[in-house]
Amino acid sequence: MRLFHIGILQLTQNLDDAVRGFKQRLEALNIAVTYEYRNVDGNTAALKQAAEELAALSVDLIFACSTPAALAAKALPENIPVVFTPVFDPVSAGLVDSFAVPGGKMTGMSGMVPAKDKVTFIKTLLPAAKKIGMLVPAEDQNAQIEAANFRLAAEGSFALHEIAVKTAADLSLLHELLPEDLDALFLPIGKILEENFSSIAYYTDAMDLPIIASHAPNVSMGALAALCASHTDLGEACADQAQAVLCEKKAAGTIPVGQPRQAQVLLNVFVADNLGIELPADLTARAAEIYN
Amino acid sequence: MLLTRKSVELLAPAGTWDSLVAAVEAGADAVYLGGKHFNMRLHRSDTNFDDDMLKKAVDYAHTHGVKLYITINNLLSDRELAPLKKYLLYLDTIKPDALLVQDLAVLELVRELKISIPLHTSVMMNTHNEHAINKLKEYGITRIVVGREMTLSELSLFKERTGIEVEYFMHGDMCISESGQCIHSGVVFGQSSNRGRCLKMCRWACKLLDEATGEIVTENDPGDYRLAIKDMCMYRNIPELIQAGVHSFKIEGRMRTPDFVSRIVRTYRKAIDSYIADPTGYSVDEKDWQDLYDNRSRDFTTCFALGQPGKKDIGFSGEREPRFFSQAVKEAGLKAGILDRELPIQAENTAHRQLSVRVANLAAAKAACESGADTIYIGGEAFKPQRPWTLADIQTAIKIAETTNTKVVVLTPRTTMRRECGELEQFFAELMKIRPAGIMVSNLGSLNLARTLTDLPLQADFAFNTFNHLSTQFLKKNGIRQAVASLEASYPQVRDLIEASALPIEIIVHGATEAMICDHNFAAMQLDFSPLQNSQLLDHHYALLDTAKEAHPLRVDQYERTHILFAKDLCLLPYLEKLNGVASYRLEAQHYSPELTAQLTKIYRRELDALATPGYQFQPQILEDLKKISPRELGIGAYRYRVSR
Repeated sequence: MRLFHIGILQLTQNLDDAVRGFKQRLEALNIAVTYEYRNVDGNTAALKQAAEELAALSVDLIFACSTPAALAAKALPENIPVVFTPVFDPVSAGLVDSFAVPGGKMTGMSGMVPAKDKVTFIKTLLPAAKKIGMLVPAEDQNAQIEAANFRLAAEGSFALHEIAVKTAADLSLLHELLPEDLDALFLPIGKILEENFSSIAYYTDAMDLPIIASHAPNVSMGALAALCASHTDLGEACADQAQAVLCEKKAAGTIPVGQPRQAQVLLNVFVADNLGIELPADLTARAAEIYN
Repeated sequence: MLLTRKSVELLAPAGTWDSLVAAVEAGADAVYLGGKHFNMRLHRSDTNFDDDMLKKAVDYAHTHGVKLYITINNLLSDRELAPLKKYLLYLDTIKPDALLVQDLAVLELVRELKISIPLHTSVMMNTHNEHAINKLKEYGITRIVVGREMTLSELSLFKERTGIEVEYFMHGDMCISESGQCIHSGVVFGQSSNRGRCLKMCRWACKLLDEATGEIVTENDPGDYRLAIKDMCMYRNIPELIQAGVHSFKIEGRMRTPDFVSRIVRTYRKAIDSYIADPTGYSVDEKDWQDLYDNRSRDFTTCFALGQPGKKDIGFSGEREPRFFSQAVKEAGLKAGILDRELPIQAENTAHRQLSVRVANLAAAKAACESGADTIYIGGEAFKPQRPWTLADIQTAIKIAETTNTKVVVLTPRTTMRRECGELEQFFAELMKIRPAGIMVSNLGSLNLARTLTDLPLQADFAFNTFNHLSTQFLKKNGIRQAVASLEASYPQVRDLIEASALPIEIIVHGATEAMICDHNFAAMQLDFSPLQNSQLLDHHYALLDTAKEAHPLRVDQYERTHILFAKDLCLLPYLEKLNGVASYRLEAQHYSPELTAQLTKIYRRELDALATPGYQFQPQILEDLKKISPRELGIGAYRYRVSR
């Protein structure tokens, strides 16, 4: 049996679950692997060098966690196949030509939970909600795409009040921008919203306004709920794609980019209690995690 | 001193199993890590070890000849004490090599449960004088992680004078505030930095504001990240560290990746071994240094190790901040939805509720006495341009207070390093003659000194971070008669504390309260002033203006420490009727004029007296009047929250 040599290129520790899922599944598939591991701990600028180090080690495949990591792996002159996740929209990120036929050396799993699922989720969670706020980071491409999708999906379900966020510091004065009649605040994916979540929650708390987040760790930090792709599942699906590349000798670019098989429900019961919201039983029953 | 391989311990952090393995494989002598609860670094649910993993970690470390320390370095609320007991009993069965502790309650519990694991004090205990160390030794502490403000020469002295083993943070992330003395995140966000949830105001962008003109100081502007201390790195000073007698070389970073841990441990391991093998022939390995430097996250500083840090030790541009945890926010105002819904504390009140007032000077002391204070607090830090209280001032204050039958309690500084402790010895001898009604102490060292050198009644100030009844039990056994509830505690947590406390509890109900105490002068960093040049600038008032347009006053004391105040002054006036069973209602008026001190004291006196009348109802107009005379907007601090996490 051949021993494969896989490079893991990781942007932050928040993606540990994806790596765990990837390794677990390869083990289950009985594929013998040694790993080279590079985690830049949030420092996007260090990805280029880390990717070059992996290339210099002649790895058979790079498992790239996050969009910037996938871009760094793609930019390598070597023809090393790349399997990526979670990447919100690999087409607009310039990673692949299309979901069906990615092209070149790239394939992977998108982390995008369809906006219509998020709308349905909010309707189940907050049946009386009529007006939803949405923060839109102006400089963040993925956030822009998700906002556009959500805008479309929300039509006919909610009135949507959008608030553009240019810089992180804009969040300091969020209370001046949030109308009082919102029933919930939806946060699309986006680094400045995810990192500075506590400042957002600080203001929404004072207004008894529930947050629906898109970044799993924000739920334990004080969002009411989120519907997110499970990073473990994404990692596992990537392992299947890696198997096709390594064992079945398929060109990565011919393997379609996958989408999350099912999204995870995350709930925060401490926040629900503070807000006097009763969580619907069917959601608590299928929640992957309930924080308190 | 002859060095052996055992003279020095290289101590690595581990947030995950992979980091633990990385640390051990890279050559750490010891590893510290936390369980799922009761420790710092609680931001992420995927880090830290559950009970089974802890046991495996201990076994793994021991199999590899590595020591394993478990952190229980949080402040604890009363509701956490029962699960903590269970946890301690469990830890006793898996035999880690030490526990790192912050809360005095853990010292009490370890005694009560006869836990046999050695104890180390966490940096969060802010141990900074030998008298504190001597007190801790009585509780079986075998090692201290000293405060970050200690220089290497102070460490040598600790070791010589007390024989204690010293552990020192020598690489990684730093706090700008004295450790365990920053309550900003706890009060503003309800997420305490003393409970592992710091949201890092120190990484906010701020302008320097001249309070006299209300203008932003643009002269010499070094950049907006004025509190963003660089990362500690002592790699180039290993000989100094070893020769200072530091035993344990601690690397910060339980949230870091296995890669990071491995690189740092390997690099330091090599340097330490090579120094010990041949001290005189040792030189820095420039290639390793370059590697460490190239892979740094922030730029490096040696912080206080080699002397007072300054402008060069702050990352003003913010460019190298690896990530942010929050953006500035408007501090909470007076609206308190949660407090409105809570029932009053069920406890007896004395017929006459006690009002205590901390005052700035003699005129304010007189004003407070004449306006109905039962106790005045004098002394301690004097904030510039105030000058420190002289012995004569104290005697005068006592005379003034006699005429109104007011008690005078004398404060001691929050931080008492070698200088302040030396001064306290003389001061306490004088107080034995002057005989004030009591002494307020702010750390274990000043407590130990006061108890040894005086027979005066002692009180423990807010710097003790009193959060649960077991820590009041500790304080009581050590001669304290009254304690202050932590300003980070939410109302239900204050209720729990009051209902179970071994000591009478004082609540700070109004005033300019402190978010942090820092051994830096931020205005001087920008404006390049120093006592030897333009000392008049030391008396000038500056503030930090954040992106939420909140101004945080900077107040410098006689020891040149900067106290960063909250942007809003605390005010619990509308909620006094909820606060029953309180031994003393305290006004922090040390930043107020004598006139304001008088007005404020009168208002609170009247209100506290009115509470006893049947059918009492708070009159909102009083609050409106108070807002008009207050120098800053008013807010309710941590009382905004149901639970301070």
